[in-house]
Amino acid sequence: MTTANTKKLSRRKFFQRGAIVLGGVIVATYLGRGVIRRFAAQLAEDMDAPALIANNESLIWFEILPDNTVLIKSPKIEMGQGIFTGFAMLAAEELDVSLNQIKVIHANTADGPVDRISTGGSSSTSSLYKSIREMAAYIREMLKETAAKKWSVSVFKVNTQDGILSSEAHKITYADLAKSTIEWEEPATPELRPASQFKFVGKEVKRTDLRPKVFGEPIYAIDQSLPDMVYATLLQSPYIEAIIRHMEIKEALKQLGVIRVIQEEDLVAVIAKNRYAAEKGLEKIRVEWDIPEKWQQAEIEKLTKVGVGNEVSVQKVGSAKGILKENNDEVFTEQYRTSIGAHAHMEPNGAIANYHNGKLKIIIGTQAPDLLRKAVASALDLSVDDVEIELTFAGGAFGRRMDTKLAIGAARISKIIGKPVQLFNTREQEFLNGVYRPQTHHVLAAKISQTGAVEAVTHDQATPDQIFAQIPADLGPTVFGADFISAGHGASIMYNVENKAATMWHNKLPIEVGIWRGVGMFANTFAIESFFNELAYKTSNDPIAFRIELLQGKEKINQRCVKVLETLREKSEWNQTKAGGIGRGMAICNDRKTISAVVAEVKVMDKKIQVVKITQVIDAGLAINPDGIRMQVEGATMMGITAALYEEIIIEDARIINSNFDKYPMVTLADTPKINVVIVEGEVVPLGVGEPPLSPVAPAIAAAVFDLTGQRLRSLPMKLS
Amino acid sequence: MKIDFIVNDKPISVDVDPDMPLLWVVRDELGLKATKYGCGKALCGACTLHLDGDAIRSCSFPVQYVANKKVRTLEGLCLNKETLHPIQQTWIDENVPQCGYCQPGFMMAAAKFIETNDNPTEEEIKSGITNICRCGTQPRIIKAIKRAVAIKQSTQPKDKL
Ligand code: FES
Ligand code: FES
Repeated sequence: MTTANTKKLSRRKFFQRGAIVLGGVIVATYLGRGVIRRFAAQLAEDMDAPALIANNESLIWFEILPDNTVLIKSPKIEMGQGIFTGFAMLAAEELDVSLNQIKVIHANTADGPVDRISTGGSSSTSSLYKSIREMAAYIREMLKETAAKKWSVSVFKVNTQDGILSSEAHKITYADLAKSTIEWEEPATPELRPASQFKFVGKEVKRTDLRPKVFGEPIYAIDQSLPDMVYATLLQSPYIEAIIRHMEIKEALKQLGVIRVIQEEDLVAVIAKNRYAAEKGLEKIRVEWDIPEKWQQAEIEKLTKVGVGNEVSVQKVGSAKGILKENNDEVFTEQYRTSIGAHAHMEPNGAIANYHNGKLKIIIGTQAPDLLRKAVASALDLSVDDVEIELTFAGGAFGRRMDTKLAIGAARISKIIGKPVQLFNTREQEFLNGVYRPQTHHVLAAKISQTGAVEAVTHDQATPDQIFAQIPADLGPTVFGADFISAGHGASIMYNVENKAATMWHNKLPIEVGIWRGVGMFANTFAIESFFNELAYKTSNDPIAFRIELLQGKEKINQRCVKVLETLREKSEWNQTKAGGIGRGMAICNDRKTISAVVAEVKVMDKKIQVVKITQVIDAGLAINPDGIRMQVEGATMMGITAALYEEIIIEDARIINSNFDKYPMVTLADTPKINVVIVEGEVVPLGVGEPPLSPVAPAIAAAVFDLTGQRLRSLPMKLS
Repeated sequence: MKIDFIVNDKPISVDVDPDMPLLWVVRDELGLKATKYGCGKALCGACTLHLDGDAIRSCSFPVQYVANKKVRTLEGLCLNKETLHPIQQTWIDENVPQCGYCQPGFMMAAAKFIETNDNPTEEEIKSGITNICRCGTQPRIIKAIKRAVAIKQSTQPKDKL
């Protein structure tokens, strides 16, 4: 097979371009660096990430298959967000095919560009909103130009509909044209259709991955197998920073099904014929651990405290600190805390690895394939080109699938034993050897004037790193002082207060910490919004009216916030008298330009807080797939309730005591409130959806509990006394 | 140990450690991957399947006790992909799954639930299934179960009247 493009393309160049496969022939199309740059810029903006991190060259692979369907290989991973559905809708807008003529699958590093950074930050759909349509439009025009030449008609006379090209008496499917074409015409970069012409965007569409998920098809990494594959479990320390003093493997080797135990200095693994034997074998290894420090919960909490560690200013307007210092006795101040959290995604982390003749293949559901590929290559001393990452659907992620430990472990094991191997965490290992949402401590202070206006407000926030903890040291806090991208995300005060300041106190924990759905916005919103609810109460203001007042302004973002609050007031029936025994509270956040606001209604029974109703108003800009947005908002709400009421990692004697779901309770059907999701479209482009609606849930619940009981709960998870 | 039983109406025979949980037998010995591992300790319900018509958590069920019994996994819940079980149908109607990993267990638990509860209240649905979903599909699961109950009622012979 020859490539139609006469210019020879090197493999490296190929990956910098869009790939289009028509009828089995690869046509590598040069779309111009503009597309790439736009993509990178967009991503940087969405993530508030410095440009050196957002070095992203992801493009998209399109393929026209013989059955006249279009295959798109997504550079972003589907971990539950429903992005494949949005991608299909966007492509269909320009391709002139029906939705069921599009299939979206994961790209892998061998046959399509994958994301250079990661899937996350709620940015998948917004960052690819334009690129996907550009590629689709380009393909359509290429097909049209080629058909026009074939039929000797003007390209303006060629129509496209449902995957068929036609012009007067001529008619041909995309697939047939692709099959019979060797020389492709390269069109000029087409103009994108305006939103007013959208046929799919905004429609109620079912998820494209619905059927495989409802039939239980083997789509996750844990479901994959390779011929001759064995199963492994990895010995991991249940104690913080512990090392092996002595180990006895005799009993493990006696376990039926165990093949061998690998004992290297930094890798102990049980290899077995099946997963059960690998787990049993691991249980039978007797280990004496050297525990350097017997960490207790109280000591861990002390590590994260305002005033401790590196101080970094993230917001300074007017002279808030000066005013508060001068008027010390009139200052109103409160403190807030959030707990350490686990991701507890349902499919444990793990990978399948096959090392063969100096080449390595990894099958995994990862949020960061490119980073993983480099990490594995370097750990095994391979060239990056010799490592192939095959992506699968991920059984939840929430920030935890940046992991490299298990893929590297699997790769090393496969190399040692010369066979493909499957290595997954047990649930206990997920809980005990995770990368946790760090705890936070916040001190907020304000001065209220004689007339009841907020004159000055400060937010001091202490937290360990999140994203920076996960990237190489040379890019980390040494350059930036503190992790303002993740931990500092949402630390600034968005309200119009003349004097305001936000400060981060950067500190460290002895456990590994990282990003968790909502990132810094989650903790910062809890603290700031709780404090503003207290300020509203203190100044005898209605909390919604108070915020509307503080958000007045000509900027679009202000107007969008006000619109969301007004919608929330109406849809939650805020001004109606509440039923007896019900408390009501609210909160709002601006998470990378998505505005999310919540009213929570709660009741209390036997000291247990029960959330009975949640009204969520979200302005995530253009709503590509409204039901997809509702799903994400419902999901974020449920996770927000779990974070507000239950989740908390506790450390005793250098050991995390939450070893499984019984010790780490999360919401169940019984905790499910009535959830009403209202979508407002305040922007013409799509913005992030997956994370923003999580953050206001906890402060809204806290306010509702106060409304009902008079108790201010300022620590997560909330516990009534 | 050799153990004979029936899986999705087909007789099968395995030769495995009798203590091996049924979960790993169906997944790795029989290649039926719908049934999921979530916790291994009967806490999350991801591994729920039917054993002689009862919903059980197969991660904590040694295969030796399955001898001569009937196992049904999600792969065998409907006859074919055109004739869906009401639970699968309403899971599609309500657009339930997100990451989808917990859903097979939920669907198997729900299929059993609607079989034994003719006209459940919302409270009964909420307390009747204790599986875990981290993505937060609970609101839709409740709706889908209600809808499946309605389908079941409308297709059942009304001989009880
Ligand atoms: S895996 Fe069986 S209940 Fe969780
Ligand atoms: S859909 Fe992801 S855990 Fe339930």
